[in-house]
Amino acid sequence: MSKLEKRLRNLFSSPRKGETFELKSGLASNYAMERKESIRRVIAAMTVGKDVSSLFPDVLKNIATHDLEQKKLVYLYLMNYAKTNPELSILAVNTFVKDSEDPNPLVRALSIRTMGCIRVDKMVDYMATPLKKTLMDTNPYVRKTAAICVAKLFELHSDSCIEQGFLDRLVALIDDSNPMVVANAISSLVEISRFSNDSKVLNLSPVVLRKLLMTLNECTEWGRITILTCLADFESTNSEDAFHIMERCSPQLQHENPAVVLAAVKVIIKNIDQIEGEAKQVLLAKLSSPLVSLLSTPPEIQYVGLKNIKVILEKYPTILSRELRVFFCKYSDPLYLKLEKIEILIRLVNDSNATLLLSELKEYALEFDQQFVDRAIQAIGQISIKLPSISKKAVDILYDIVASRPEYVIDQAIVVLQEFLRRYPVEFTSSIIPIIADMSIQDFNNPRAISSYIWIIGEYTSKIPHLESKLQRVAETFLEADPSVQLVSLTTVCKCHLSKPTAQTQQVLQQVLEYATQKVDNSDVRDKAFIYWRLLSLEQEHIQKEVILTTLPKLDTIIPLFPTSVLNELVNEISMLSTVYERPGRDFVNTDDTNRYLNPNIQSRRIEELQLIAKQEIMDNTVKAEHLLDFDDDIEEDGLSGSNSIGINELNELNDLFSGFNVSPTPIEK
Amino acid sequence: MGNVFSGIFGKLWGVNKEIRILLLGLDGAGKTTILYMLQMGEVIKTKPTIGFNVETLKYKNISINMWDLGGQTSIRPYWRCYYADTAAVIFVVDSTDKERLETARDELHTMLKEEELSDSALLVFANKQDQAGALGASEVSKALNLVALKDRSWSIVASSAIKGEGLTEGLDWLIDVIKEEQM
Repeated sequence: MSKLEKRLRNLFSSPRKGETFELKSGLASNYAMERKESIRRVIAAMTVGKDVSSLFPDVLKNIATHDLEQKKLVYLYLMNYAKTNPELSILAVNTFVKDSEDPNPLVRALSIRTMGCIRVDKMVDYMATPLKKTLMDTNPYVRKTAAICVAKLFELHSDSCIEQGFLDRLVALIDDSNPMVVANAISSLVEISRFSNDSKVLNLSPVVLRKLLMTLNECTEWGRITILTCLADFESTNSEDAFHIMERCSPQLQHENPAVVLAAVKVIIKNIDQIEGEAKQVLLAKLSSPLVSLLSTPPEIQYVGLKNIKVILEKYPTILSRELRVFFCKYSDPLYLKLEKIEILIRLVNDSNATLLLSELKEYALEFDQQFVDRAIQAIGQISIKLPSISKKAVDILYDIVASRPEYVIDQAIVVLQEFLRRYPVEFTSSIIPIIADMSIQDFNNPRAISSYIWIIGEYTSKIPHLESKLQRVAETFLEADPSVQLVSLTTVCKCHLSKPTAQTQQVLQQVLEYATQKVDNSDVRDKAFIYWRLLSLEQEHIQKEVILTTLPKLDTIIPLFPTSVLNELVNEISMLSTVYERPGRDFVNTDDTNRYLNPNIQSRRIEELQLIAKQEIMDNTVKAEHLLDFDDDIEEDGLSGSNSIGINELNELNDLFSGFNVSPTPIEK
Repeated sequence: MGNVFSGIFGKLWGVNKEIRILLLGLDGAGKTTILYMLQMGEVIKTKPTIGFNVETLKYKNISINMWDLGGQTSIRPYWRCYYADTAAVIFVVDSTDKERLETARDELHTMLKEEELSDSALLVFANKQDQAGALGASEVSKALNLVALKDRSWSIVASSAIKGEGLTEGLDWLIDVIKEEQM
């Protein structure tokens, strides 16, 4: 083939087009400018989510460059796509190793950081030497980057990480002269101990402790958070240590970053129970102003702060008792913040500030946001049930609110009134019942309100005027009502029948019981109706009265509290997502996942075990089934051997089944 | 802005154009040593190349992008990623390693069969001439069966990377061929 022929053929061969092809030829261009421009375009495509992984070898070729900008771009690409081309990533090793010896510390740090981020198994072997060097680099920026890299290597390959002595080097870095390096070493060690579930990785000896406390004031915000979190996890054994730690950490309470403040609060809360007496009170008092300072942040951060304050308040209810006014809702606060502030307010209330809060809540109840108004009315109920001293005032305020805008607030108000009656069954009958008296079931919209209304009718039969007609309405609407309403209606008609046995109540009872047993498909409602029906046909009135007209126990508080065990866990996880979710971390963080990283065998072993168990079970079942069929004792032996052979056959089939299944777990292991 | 113009004019006159030359060969043949000898004029301490090195040399007013690819068995399959748009291949042979000359020959011939390299010139360095027992250029040429190459400009030069002997002669020839054939 002559040269001319080749050129002609190239000329006429169909031109290849498309963005990928264009980029590909740009990346391999003979002009440095064009190559760099193409890399820029590749990264641009990557950041908007296009898949440019097919360009991997072409981008990789541009890694060896002295142009810092280009190097950064290529490294960025590598971090994203190394996983899709694990084999090819090896080609970058030489450049990484060279860059980790570059005279420019930025390049050294960049290379070790990228190597750590690549997370390809094959990379592990080549990472050791550069990592060792960079851990002992003269430049602190490089050292601090390398420290984080150790944790990444550990996640990928814990054994080699320990063998190469990286953990010891990391521990040695705690003694570094640069606070940033210390902080990163600590965070790396914390991460490692979490992965390996081995708390010994980070041993907080008195020397280390002193070093950490000394570093604390010189760190960046991130470093402080890391160190404080680590200190919070440290269990001090004597009050002297605990006091010392708290004293050294308390300056951090004044930091402007709310995360640092919360981390410092956490350290103090974790240690405070070690000390007693006046010192404890002084320290607790110190917590109040930093917590209040969380409220001068943007709304989203305030929200997180309020969630944390709620947890802290349940543990130490008195901390903020003088700061009620700070938590009053501002006109401009977003709704989620207002609702959360009310949560705090009702927890802060005591006899001395209750009146103030009550008038504040009244203002809220006259706002226009339905949800906020409802919450405010509910809060009035919550605080007046908690504090009998203001109950009289609370009822008056409720009365005012209902009178001023009935259609807007009545649903929530009736619920609160019912709870009121549960707490003060006698004291307020005369003031509450008249509010109810003029109302009928149509005035309410939501099931909760209707239930409360119906419950009150049943409880105060003798005091309600026009009882019969009200009951009639209940019966008429029975079939369309919500199951929760149906349940309470059943109880109420029975109560009325027992306490005011007239022809009309008798008739309503009959009708409701028939509806409930014949036309309602909710099983709870049917069951309850049947039970009442039987009870009422017993002819033993005292038993009926004892069951149906029983008085419910008095309410103490209707402010929901965390169960003690949950509260203790939440206190340990202050400033984490747990406090925002109000659930302990183990609920939503799957710890199995982290273990799987550590040991890929676990996953496969589990499946093998499951296979074994499953096989065993199926075999047992077939043997049992055979036994059940063999009634004749004489041929039992034959039957048994027969069943065994069946069992083995089935076992083989199962093996086939599972061998196909075996493929699936591998991609899960990362 | 200035960059853009210099880019455009550079392209028009071919000023900034770089030509690509690949340095290939089995592991331990001396590719990385040759690269840095050519670029910096001194012998550097090398480690086995996992991946590649690339350096730009100015030689006779031409800028050459010289790619030194790792020669280990595991990396050889990836050589093909670099074939596109290659002006010339420099194949380096360890003249003292008689046992692996056959492997070298096979790798060389497989590589040259690639469509993308059909226009590239070939220069073979029979390297490590400074060591005792090194084969001469003609013997290496025979062992590699270079005569069998058709439609290709090729040459073999005896060299010693650490002494810097033979390298410039080889490169001179290569540049002349490239200028004549491709520019």
